[in-house]
Amino acid sequence: MIAGGASSTAPRPQRRLMTEVSAAVTLHGVKKAFPLENGRTLDALNIEHWAVSAGRCTVLTGPSGSGKTTLLNLIAGVSLPTAGTITVHDTDISALPEPRRDRFRARHIGYVFQTFNLLSAFTALENVMLSMMFADAIPKHAQRRRAGEILTRLGLGARLSHKPQQLSRGEQQRIAIARALANRPPLILADEPCASLDASTAREVLDELLSVCREAGTTLLVVSHETAVLAAGDQVIDITAINRPEYRVRSVERV
Amino acid sequence: MTILTVALKYLRGRFVASALTSLSVALGVSLVIASVLLSRGIQQGFIEGTTDYSLLVGAKGSPTQLVLNIVFRMDVPTPNISYSTYRQLQDDPRVEVAVPVAMGDAYQGSRYVATTGGYFAAYSWRRKTFAISEGRFFRDDPPEQPAYEAVLGADAARRTGLRVGDRFHEGEEMAEYPLTVVGILRPTNSADDRAIFFSLASYWQMNEISREMKVKPLTAVLVRAKRMSDLPGLHRGFNVTADTQAVFPSAVLLNIFNVLSLVDEVVAIILAIVGLVVVLYLFVSMYSATLERQREIATMRALGARRATILGIVLLESCAMAVIGGALGIAGGHGVAYLGAAVLAGRGGPVANLFVVSALEPVVFASAVVLGALAGLLPAVLAYRTEVAENLAPLS
Repeated sequence: MIAGGASSTAPRPQRRLMTEVSAAVTLHGVKKAFPLENGRTLDALNIEHWAVSAGRCTVLTGPSGSGKTTLLNLIAGVSLPTAGTITVHDTDISALPEPRRDRFRARHIGYVFQTFNLLSAFTALENVMLSMMFADAIPKHAQRRRAGEILTRLGLGARLSHKPQQLSRGEQQRIAIARALANRPPLILADEPCASLDASTAREVLDELLSVCREAGTTLLVVSHETAVLAAGDQVIDITAINRPEYRVRSVERV
Repeated sequence: MTILTVALKYLRGRFVASALTSLSVALGVSLVIASVLLSRGIQQGFIEGTTDYSLLVGAKGSPTQLVLNIVFRMDVPTPNISYSTYRQLQDDPRVEVAVPVAMGDAYQGSRYVATTGGYFAAYSWRRKTFAISEGRFFRDDPPEQPAYEAVLGADAARRTGLRVGDRFHEGEEMAEYPLTVVGILRPTNSADDRAIFFSLASYWQMNEISREMKVKPLTAVLVRAKRMSDLPGLHRGFNVTADTQAVFPSAVLLNIFNVLSLVDEVVAIILAIVGLVVVLYLFVSMYSATLERQREIATMRALGARRATILGIVLLESCAMAVIGGALGIAGGHGVAYLGAAVLAGRGGPVANLFVVSALEPVVFASAVVLGALAGLLPAVLAYRTEVAENLAPLS
């Protein structure tokens, strides 16, 4: 059964119920309201409790405008909840002062965007190194080598000095994945990572993403509508099931 | 990778815009450097080129014209005075030295100056020294037997190409009485470098041949008083006459400097406006770049870049353009000043050596960088305040 009424793909034989999985991300009483021009507020999120299993691939799905990206931004700490706490690997990210939140995000969270968001003035290698510069977790002398290794692992060894505009969309998203993995973060957030790609490229990129995350035991939280992504996730959550006061956990754990 | 390399990458990423902005800074800086160097060079040129004599006696007229013509070889000569004025000064007990000077035509742009050997004499009170680099000084020949010997200033020799032993003349009527170069002077960094000197006897004879002038005219007499206290009396004495005026060259120089300072003030206002336009251009360039880049800034913030890092990148970018423009501007300003000085010198203007060690360049460079930082401050704050979640939304 898929949480929150999300549609499921055909059951796979290796699927089994999980009972105890440690949480990479935990949300308690999280609310997010946006002020409107007429002086009122729009309640975008109201999540009583939700936990993302560590080391798994959780797919968050749901209709447009249901708050998926808002939730991802809250977990990443790029915006703050109106109320509640968000814990990422035992750190209450919403309670951290901004500079520490930025540092925490740089070191512990990788972010993959729907439109890649690569920096056009920088080469593939530099885009990955930039992420390391912000985290300052890997010694400067090792950054170039590390960036080269990840890109090579993702099949971009011959594209290191290419600028994003010289590469295909699939290659660009691979660079974005490499950038997200650069600091070896325990959590990767991916917002519609395949939405801008054609079906076959999307499949390849998704496989790469899942493969490298599983290799490293990285928690992957993906926002997606894509059938392929939904099918590939260990856990699928429909945000409409958690984004309401009477939230109840109804999910099927898959391995 | 550091924030400086990120800033430089961004500059290279929009090469044409960055190059044009740096160029505008370079133009502004070069204007400042060139005008200050030239203004300072001209003022210093007047100071270095001035005479050691405390009084100039010439025909009635403009004191400035008299000083400009006799000391700096600029402007047209004042009317002639009688040789007796010189004799009168020579016999005056208050006068230590009196040197007669007559300004003549020019040979290939180098002015004829007729005088006596006293003009080149070294006195303990003289700052200026004349030395021969080649040949000898001309003879103080008697009026009835002019020797037609010429001594060339260093520039005059270079410009005319004349060497010791060469003969030359100006005008067909003088073809039979050419001047012979007997010596070339070492540079004196004054208008004397551009003059051709010869004796008064030769000058008067040339006048008689070419203009049938029977009188023995002079243009001015350079005077050194025995005591400073004698100067006011001498000054008054030659000013109350109908034909002559006495002028303190230092007072005229002060007047010239006053005029120059007015010009400097106007130039300073123009330069301030140019500076403002350059700063505005830099600001607009950085502001539009930051607006265009808000999505990338939001991405960097989402990747963990701190607000201060983003602020630093934009400020460094703006400063880098100011640094590049400043360096180019200082080099360009020196080039423009050098060309300007060459043109002025070619027209006989007094310009001293422009390339002296001073605080000008570091001060202008530092000012350019500070203004560059100021121009980048508002765009940097805009970048600093970029709303991350809002700007991360996928492009439709």
